[in-house]
Amino acid sequence: MAAAMASAAERAVLEEEFKWLLQEEVHGVLRQLQDILKEASHRFALPVGGTEGPVKQENFILDTSSADQVKGVLMLQGDALCQADINLKMPRNNQLLHFTFREDKQWKLQQIQDARNHVNQAIYLLTNRDVNYQFKTGSEVLKLMDAVMLQLTRARNRLTTPATLTLPEIASSGLTKMFTPALPSDILVNVYINLNKLCLTVYQLHALQPNSTKNFRPTGGSILHNPGAMFECGSQRYEVSHVHKVECVVPWLNDALVFFTVSLQLSQQLKDKISVFSSYWNYRPY
Amino acid sequence: MKTSMPAVALWGKRAPSHSITAIMITDDQQTIVTGSQEGQICLWTLSSELKISSKEILFGHTASVTCLAKARDFEKQPYVVSATENGEMCVWNVTSGQCIGNANLPYRHTAICYYHCSFRMTGDGWLLCCGQYQDVVIIDAKTLAVLHTLISFQSSDWISCMCIVHSTRIQEDSLVAVSVTGDLKVWDLSSSVTSIQERQSVYEQESKALDCTNCQAIRFCTYTERLLLVVLANCWKVYDYCDFSLLCTEFNKSGQCFAGGEVLAARRLIIWTEDGHSYIYQLLNRWAQIGNEHKKFSGHSKSIYPADGKVLKETVYPHLLCFTYVKENKSFPFVMGFMNERKEPFYKILFSGEASGRITLWHVPDVPVSTLDGSPKEIPIAAAWTLQDDFDKHHAMSEGIIDHICASEDGTESAAVTSSIYVPNLDKLVCGCEDGKIFVTLALHAAKARILEDISLLKHTLPSKVLKGHSRSVTCLLYPHGKSARFDPSWLVSGGQDSCVIWWDIFTEEILHQFTLQAGPVMNLLLSPENYRLNGHRIVCCICSDHSVALLHLQERVCLLHARKHLFPVKMIKWHLAENLLIVGCEDDSVYVWEIETGTLERHETDEMAKAILISCEESECLVTDSILPGSQDTQKHKIAGYKSSSSYKLDTLSHNLTHTEKSSDKVRPFTILPVKTKWNNISFHVLLFDLEKLVELLLSSQLSGLKSSNSFHSYDTLKRAKSTAEKKTLMLKRNKTAGSLFPMDGQVKNACEKKVHRHNSAARSLEESSGIKRHKKMKSSKKIRLQPPGKIDANITADTAKLLLSCLLPWGVDKEVDNHCVRHLDIFRLQCPVSFGLVSNGNHISLMLPGWNCNHCDVVEEHMPINLFSRKVLDLSNKYITAGQGQTGKKYGLHHNADGTQGSQIVFYLLSRVSLVNRIVTLPLEFTSAIDRTFYIFSDKSGFHFPDPGNVSLVKLISCWRDQSIKIIEVIQAALLAEVQRSMKTLKKTSVSNQPMTMIDNGNSEVQTLAKTEQTEQMVKCIKNIPFPTAVSVGKHGSCSNSANFQAVEYMPDRCVMEESESPGESPLKIVPEYQMINMTQLLSQSNKAHCNAASFLAAGMSN
Repeated sequence: MAAAMASAAERAVLEEEFKWLLQEEVHGVLRQLQDILKEASHRFALPVGGTEGPVKQENFILDTSSADQVKGVLMLQGDALCQADINLKMPRNNQLLHFTFREDKQWKLQQIQDARNHVNQAIYLLTNRDVNYQFKTGSEVLKLMDAVMLQLTRARNRLTTPATLTLPEIASSGLTKMFTPALPSDILVNVYINLNKLCLTVYQLHALQPNSTKNFRPTGGSILHNPGAMFECGSQRYEVSHVHKVECVVPWLNDALVFFTVSLQLSQQLKDKISVFSSYWNYRPY
Repeated sequence: MKTSMPAVALWGKRAPSHSITAIMITDDQQTIVTGSQEGQICLWTLSSELKISSKEILFGHTASVTCLAKARDFEKQPYVVSATENGEMCVWNVTSGQCIGNANLPYRHTAICYYHCSFRMTGDGWLLCCGQYQDVVIIDAKTLAVLHTLISFQSSDWISCMCIVHSTRIQEDSLVAVSVTGDLKVWDLSSSVTSIQERQSVYEQESKALDCTNCQAIRFCTYTERLLLVVLANCWKVYDYCDFSLLCTEFNKSGQCFAGGEVLAARRLIIWTEDGHSYIYQLLNRWAQIGNEHKKFSGHSKSIYPADGKVLKETVYPHLLCFTYVKENKSFPFVMGFMNERKEPFYKILFSGEASGRITLWHVPDVPVSTLDGSPKEIPIAAAWTLQDDFDKHHAMSEGIIDHICASEDGTESAAVTSSIYVPNLDKLVCGCEDGKIFVTLALHAAKARILEDISLLKHTLPSKVLKGHSRSVTCLLYPHGKSARFDPSWLVSGGQDSCVIWWDIFTEEILHQFTLQAGPVMNLLLSPENYRLNGHRIVCCICSDHSVALLHLQERVCLLHARKHLFPVKMIKWHLAENLLIVGCEDDSVYVWEIETGTLERHETDEMAKAILISCEESECLVTDSILPGSQDTQKHKIAGYKSSSSYKLDTLSHNLTHTEKSSDKVRPFTILPVKTKWNNISFHVLLFDLEKLVELLLSSQLSGLKSSNSFHSYDTLKRAKSTAEKKTLMLKRNKTAGSLFPMDGQVKNACEKKVHRHNSAARSLEESSGIKRHKKMKSSKKIRLQPPGKIDANITADTAKLLLSCLLPWGVDKEVDNHCVRHLDIFRLQCPVSFGLVSNGNHISLMLPGWNCNHCDVVEEHMPINLFSRKVLDLSNKYITAGQGQTGKKYGLHHNADGTQGSQIVFYLLSRVSLVNRIVTLPLEFTSAIDRTFYIFSDKSGFHFPDPGNVSLVKLISCWRDQSIKIIEVIQAALLAEVQRSMKTLKKTSVSNQPMTMIDNGNSEVQTLAKTEQTEQMVKCIKNIPFPTAVSVGKHGSCSNSANFQAVEYMPDRCVMEESESPGESPLKIVPEYQMINMTQLLSQSNKAHCNAASFLAAGMSN
């Protein structure tokens, strides 16, 4: 209603304001966004010192407050798990098992790599529109922000939503084959990122007898399987008897998630600012 | 079996937005394919003079298109594959516009390369894909299933670009790719075909860090088979393919970003930028500049057989020859590509697509040269075109459905339609316009007035109402009665850009209440779930552009809650019944829980807790009623596209909603209007959907039982007069009861009808249900009578729809005789201008012709003659059709024996049943390979007793083979129609010479038996047998051939006699129509009833057989 009755003077003011928004404010926000995202991107690379050089290795001692069945240290180098040291106390016989990664192997944490790539894509989108660039229409800004937000949402979702795997998928994944001494056939391990935490789950299995009267129902995909979950692998049926989940907060993942949230909010606010003006012009692709 | 549905698009003055994100030119250089951010694929015709015209727009994707690539050997099959942001993949036949296959995979592709190695591979080849995932995925081009992955041994990462290197010198096809971190990787392709088929791990042959990020393109020079071009955002480099040594680097100037490049010829490159510029370079040899003594060196390196790479190294540098640029509008990124010439008439074309929707072409000369003084020369733009250009050029074709109504109001140009809904039970179309007006009009009549010629009379009599209340454009509309019968059918709710929600009575044009929200434009209007009521009423939920949600209680005229805390756009709305909570899910995956009664924000949760809340809501009894998608203004489009296998819940519910509405509406109506809204410019257009099968069904059943509308006429009239809602409801009930009890026999017939129809659906329907549907229909048609001055317009909505469809399909302007014949004998109208055909296939793929589709023919014929011929091919096909159908010609014409106008509707019915048959054959599942199988399948599907005669078999054969030749369905239909009309014309001439008037058949049973002895009837029975009636009232499969054929004849007879009685020779067909109606309504009622009795007794006889 208001806009329909807006006087010519009012309109002129609005035009002026919109122009300011496009020429000044947008660049300010983009600058800010870029700074935040670069900061986030640095968290992923974590160089030893300076900007070049090999990526720093960090040790994470897994939290064992719940029970001391599983103890472990994971060494993270950027997006790769380069060393793992796992101590497992078998509940049946209190036998202590010790596994480490083979020297020649690294396990890539796909979630971290994807998140890093998404952030870099967002940064690339922003660098194309530096201060010298003149935005002419609002929809141009909206489209840019949409593209940036898409990447950021994906980056965040990669960290917040670990893959849901089935037990046979875990059993056949390369991770189980990376240890020395080799993992016994009744133990499965899985490593993933959940929010800001690096999680290690160890499943202890017990083989079901072929003539077992137990009602066999294979379980579907899940982030964390519960004891009692069943699956079939190579014509042998297993049931999960024990599940141990140990985790450790990765500080820089926490930072990155905060950066994502802040920049998503910034982007949305910019979009909202542009959209306000959209309602004043019916006939223009604002 | 899923058949396709013909559709007609009624565009508006403004073209739908098409922000190009991917572009390619097909190998034959006749079609440009573009993919848009909105998710549509657009096909453009590229003439040999490099003129562009839009051809067709394909709906099917639900997200932005990321890449396009050819999906087969183009000469054999003109297939193109498209991939989207959300992992959908579709293979399209770009000649026929059909979707050949689709898949939804958890991969986001950014580039696809088609690879086929004919002597090592079986099948249709592979699609090598890369994108936002590790390494390279191999997808089967035919099934779109993931075959295998090419994996990296070292530093596995996303691949940002790749190309296939096919070299005769190396005798090995390889895939060269660069990862996002700048690692160049080479995988062997041809030698690893078997290991890929056996799913063994395939690692890269070579991996080399190029020390560069943001790689945009990599290209192999097939001329020298030596050079490798790598384009980065800030520079481009040339490498030696043998040892990957760097030969030269050229940095960009003035902050432009390089976006891609291609090798033009030996040592000649073209590089383009993100803002639409391009540069052609010649790689020069440094030695050649220095002196003669090095001549042998330069000659050496030009022919590229140097012994070692060192000679080549550091010896080339680029020289800029030519450039191209675009003057205006650099604000949107360009997607560009280059098409090299292949054989003679082909050009070297540089093409670009912009987010604004413009396509620009440059014709790159075979030998690009710089100007005489050595400075680079500009290559001029050869062509530039947008969708809007076609809409402006063919303005008659792009006229919107209600433009004529708006325009007639005042002389000014009509405002664009920004939102619209179709109300099926009233057959009304409600359109909200940019200027805030809402037009309410009769849908079918608006469509007729828009499409047909000579119907200008109708335009002025067209009843339309204008609701004035919004001050700015109307953004969304809700017809609550369509969702829940508890609402009054006269109510309409509209939301506008002025942040007002208005509750209307569409019959009285009154504003019942106006809610002012002050929350920015209203984006969407939803209704609370069926089981969520407040004081016995469902409430309206408004989503505003400031991300707030308002709950309105219409009956109490109050705003219950205005939830304003949301930081992000609302993605999901859920209702918790037990605790009276509103759960709002936002796009950042946070959840807000509002207490509806007090209006307080109870909780705000993010991450895991938010997920848990949403999941718990799903598990509890209260399910989502309505969900909107990101970019909620786009809901309609998403509806079109639908979701096949969606991973997230909200999409599931949407597709559920879609299928639900489709089911409920499609079973009843042969004709629907689907309003479609486009994303960015918020303009809607309309698609008329014709359900052929239903139409033929209804035509038949309406011919059987269509005359009862007169009876319900009166009762509906009183219904209309009744003011209060309560009164209406009771009256409605009463009317239904009487209608049900009036025609008990009729119900039986209908029941049998329904059985037949839904036999293959195995959906058993009760008698009540089916007659309810009929009643529904009656109501509509009777309403029409009330609104229209009787005698002017045909009362029968089905017949109208049928005629409208025929008008749209007929190839007008090909043969004047045919045209006149159609107008005179079929009682249908000419078209105002060519229509934009469309086709709905597989339930969720729609292809629509764009206004420029027939521009090729326009030049040939004078402008004023509307020519609706789809393509020249149709004439050819039509001739073939006639020859193929020769076997049955002799028998066929019994039907058209009487050369009178009143037979029009019968011929219309016959033609439509043929069209429906053709449509069935074309869309037949592929597993029926042999023609005989197909024939049996088609005919057995319809009725158990139709044995295909040779004519039909050859027809099926012919049409099936057309399908394999990627001929458009619409072309086949048009060809068949043309042939049938021509054929009927011939018989008409024949029979008019020796016209033998048919004996009158008053009463079925005994008469038919006596008649059956006469030759004529026998002929007729035969011919009827030949026509596949999809809806034929039959006793099922067990009926013997002759018996059921007879039975059909009986079914048909009453109708015939009705027609014959109503005819009066010498009158023009136009006048006969109303007369026919009048007779129908009054005198013949008893007669037809009798006939139905007979039919029913025959039915009983058939059953006992």
